[in-house]
Amino acid sequence: MALLKGTLDVLVLKTLSWTPMHAFEITTWLEDQSSGRLVVEDAALLQALHRMEERKLIAAEWGVTKNGRRARYYRLTPSGRGHLRAESDRLVDHFDALTTVLAAKKA
Amino acid sequence: MIRFLLRPGVRRLFRLPLRTTTAIRDDVDDELASLLASRIEHLVARGMSPADARAESLRRLGANLDDVRLQLHQSAEHRERHMRFHEHVETLAQDLRYAARGLARRPAFTAVAVLTLAIGIGATTAIFSAVNVLILRPLPYASPGELMKLSLVTPTVGGRPGTDQMSWSYPKYTLFRDSQQSFSDVAPFDGEPFVLTSGDVERVNGEFVGATYLRTLGLRPIVGRDFDRAADAHVGGPMEVIIGTSLWERRFNADPSVIGRILVVDRQSYTIIGIAPRGFKGLSGHAELWLPITASLAEQLTQAQSHWFNVVARRKPSVSATQAEAAMITFGKRMSETYPDNFAGKAAWSAHSIPLDEARVAPVVKRSLLILFGAVGFVLLIACVNVANLQLGRASNRRREIAVRMAIGAGRARVVRLLVTESVLLALIGGAVALVIAWIGTRALSAVNPQITARVGRATIGSVDFAAIRLDWTALAFAFGVALAIGVLFGLAPALQATRSTVSNALKEGADSKTGVAHAFSGRRFLVVVEVALALVLLAGSGLMIRSLTKMLAIDTGFDPSHVLTLRLTVPEGGLGRDSLPGFYTQLVDRLHAIPGVTNASLGFCPPLSGGCNKTLVTFPGQPEPDFAHRPLTGVFWASPEYFSTLRIPLKRGRMITDADRFGGPKVLLINEAGARALWPNENPVGKRVKIGQGGFSDGDGAEVVGVVGDSRQFVDSAAGTEVYLPYAQSPRSGILIFVRSMRDVASLGPEVRRAIHDVAPSFPVYDMQTMSARAAGATAQARFSASLLGLFALTALSLAGVGIYGVMALAVAARTREIGIRIALGADRGRVQRLVVGEGVALASLGTIVGVGGALGATRVMRSLLFDLTPSDPITYVTIVAVLGAAAIVASWIPARRASRVDPVVALRIE
Repeated sequence: MALLKGTLDVLVLKTLSWTPMHAFEITTWLEDQSSGRLVVEDAALLQALHRMEERKLIAAEWGVTKNGRRARYYRLTPSGRGHLRAESDRLVDHFDALTTVLAAKKA
Repeated sequence: MIRFLLRPGVRRLFRLPLRTTTAIRDDVDDELASLLASRIEHLVARGMSPADARAESLRRLGANLDDVRLQLHQSAEHRERHMRFHEHVETLAQDLRYAARGLARRPAFTAVAVLTLAIGIGATTAIFSAVNVLILRPLPYASPGELMKLSLVTPTVGGRPGTDQMSWSYPKYTLFRDSQQSFSDVAPFDGEPFVLTSGDVERVNGEFVGATYLRTLGLRPIVGRDFDRAADAHVGGPMEVIIGTSLWERRFNADPSVIGRILVVDRQSYTIIGIAPRGFKGLSGHAELWLPITASLAEQLTQAQSHWFNVVARRKPSVSATQAEAAMITFGKRMSETYPDNFAGKAAWSAHSIPLDEARVAPVVKRSLLILFGAVGFVLLIACVNVANLQLGRASNRRREIAVRMAIGAGRARVVRLLVTESVLLALIGGAVALVIAWIGTRALSAVNPQITARVGRATIGSVDFAAIRLDWTALAFAFGVALAIGVLFGLAPALQATRSTVSNALKEGADSKTGVAHAFSGRRFLVVVEVALALVLLAGSGLMIRSLTKMLAIDTGFDPSHVLTLRLTVPEGGLGRDSLPGFYTQLVDRLHAIPGVTNASLGFCPPLSGGCNKTLVTFPGQPEPDFAHRPLTGVFWASPEYFSTLRIPLKRGRMITDADRFGGPKVLLINEAGARALWPNENPVGKRVKIGQGGFSDGDGAEVVGVVGDSRQFVDSAAGTEVYLPYAQSPRSGILIFVRSMRDVASLGPEVRRAIHDVAPSFPVYDMQTMSARAAGATAQARFSASLLGLFALTALSLAGVGIYGVMALAVAARTREIGIRIALGADRGRVQRLVVGEGVALASLGTIVGVGGALGATRVMRSLLFDLTPSDPITYVTIVAVLGAAAIVASWIPARRASRVDPVVALRIE
């Protein structure tokens, strides 16, 4: 399922809100959490990460994975945390509205 | 696991190397590879074949691998650039905040430094504005580099020096114009006063010009048209006039329909054909109207030896200045053959070209300005030295703070940048305050006109003058550049010094810190010596100018300018016949006498100390004419009988001219003492007969010398030459300079004098009213200008140097409080302690003086041509300024010395 515009950023921020992760961990986590319903293209994910790093929502540093592979770890910054809070509220509200409308039955 | 995470700002603080494009791309590739590898590993772990896993991974990428790489490279580079820029801005803002806090914490230091810099930068900017306008800035005409001033060259004959700035005659000009090939346009111009009589009678300045005058300068009328190219081809061309915008607005309300109307100029009717560009006042500098040169008097156009106008030309782009000059010399030969100078013993004339740019200001003004610019540069340098001194003092106080910063990991470069930011901020604040000083300075300089330029402006074009001096963008950019350079240079040196020592050394307060203080202190002493030396050079320069000026003012000029009012009156052409002029003179003088309080009233022609007006040949009736080189010249003046009593010029022999010496009667004249000595050595000149080549005094058997009057100077710096005075009544002229002496305040006499003249001659223009003292002051204006500015600069330099000595001695006393305490405890008396400190200050000043005297002897040589009756190594000047400087040094070190002598030994010994 293709993602709505702007939702990928929030999802990534949400993913990073517990612990720093590298790109593959992020995409796997999203897939697992959504029981495979959210599949993100790798190119789009990496672009999103670059974009958010530029906006200082996340910060990156090279680290080493469990399997001994070098990987770029992303971490939420304080401003990223604030952004996540605001955007997720907005999105939840938005989807709630959508759900309400779509679920409406003929009176 | 993750090794460590660092905020980007921290990484910058530790000066981790900035990443190159290659590094950024490698990062992207690594991350991409890592992601793909992780996925393959993951898929293989779930039982997929490696080949399928790879294919699946590439599919999950979402696009072609190469495209994805390229896209990611771009987004990563954009990210790095963006973040780096933001970090720079952040760091700069942080530095600025820090610097501002640092300055605000020490208001006394900041105020002194800002003020010092403001004085230095402000004065330099003001003088720079003058130099820029008068010397540097290109002339405001199209391709000004191509414009040349063409002149004739007269030969040196006998002891009589020639000139290479001789003006042109019309026949010589047409010979040149019709044969020359080097210039795309040539045009004569000559500034003259004219009288307008259509409407209000008004005297205006204008120019007789060639038809291509405006074209040569690259200008064209803003309304109407220019002269036809051929308008000046022949004598008696079209009677047309172009007027300036100021005249157009004043007399015609800027009405465009004025084109085609008639303007009566000197009783001739001209058709207005165009309006000159706004602000254009001709090369003579004051013109408001332009007439074709062919409209001038016929005899001025036909006589080859009547030289009266200048020529401006535009060099063809293909012709070099050297080629143009060669062409002028070739023409000069031809001209000399066509129009030989029978007077000058057939000695050949020549022709010459200089860039118009070189004719913009008189050499003496240029030299004075450059000297002033040099002097003000010295003031700036001293100001900088003082600020550097203050910075050094601060830096040594801040060694611990700096050491701490370096210990927690700030690199040396980072700390240096912090310190330099602070000094740049200081300099920029100083620069901003300096603009106020510069603005006041430029206003004052622009008011210096017209005395100076009027005095020395003969060979120059008048369009470049002091009035044009403004605080313009160039000057603002100059001030900003100077402030920035000072901030960087004078912040960098102390910063480098302060950050040089190793962290551990500086942190160990006590033993090691003393070497640091001592080091900084020796640097400050050196700066004080430099400062004193610079101040001495300036004092020498100003001392010489002031002495030269005093000598100039003490000169006996031979006349008394006080209580005399002067003004000019022109009898308009056709206003009065030549025969009725003497009657008019009598009427005028009588009416002026009737003004209450007026003791003397007279007519003259050329005021003394104005550089003389005209000269002519003297011949003796009945004697063979000597050859040209030995023929005597005389200055010619016109005077009414009371002229000499008005100016208090004494009669030495014979009699004065009187009202009895009338028009048509036997011609008489007066001669000055210098002339009497030169023409008739050891003889009584009274009763001798001479012919004077002007004023109708060369006819028949000439005129009789009836008396000898005292010499009055024409130039302040040279004694009078031969001068004769012709009675107005016997040689009537339409141009009159009126002299009125009164016991009353002559400046307030103006309106009454104007009314008196109006009673006698209602339609004659009266202008140029000045007290004689003001006219005479014009002769020393240039010297007074240089002397007062140099004096001001020297005074500033002296105070700054005094502050510098004070600062260093105060620091020295503070550093030696303990030692002084011990001395006092051991019984040294307080006077001795004072002498110790003062002695050290004087020692520094003496060293500076020795260096300075050497420098001054070299530097003031450039002033030689500006000094009157004084050599640049004048001993009296040097003794005086050394005494002044010594006194200043003693005062500046006595204040801290007094503090030292009051040191309480008990307190002092407890310090540290």
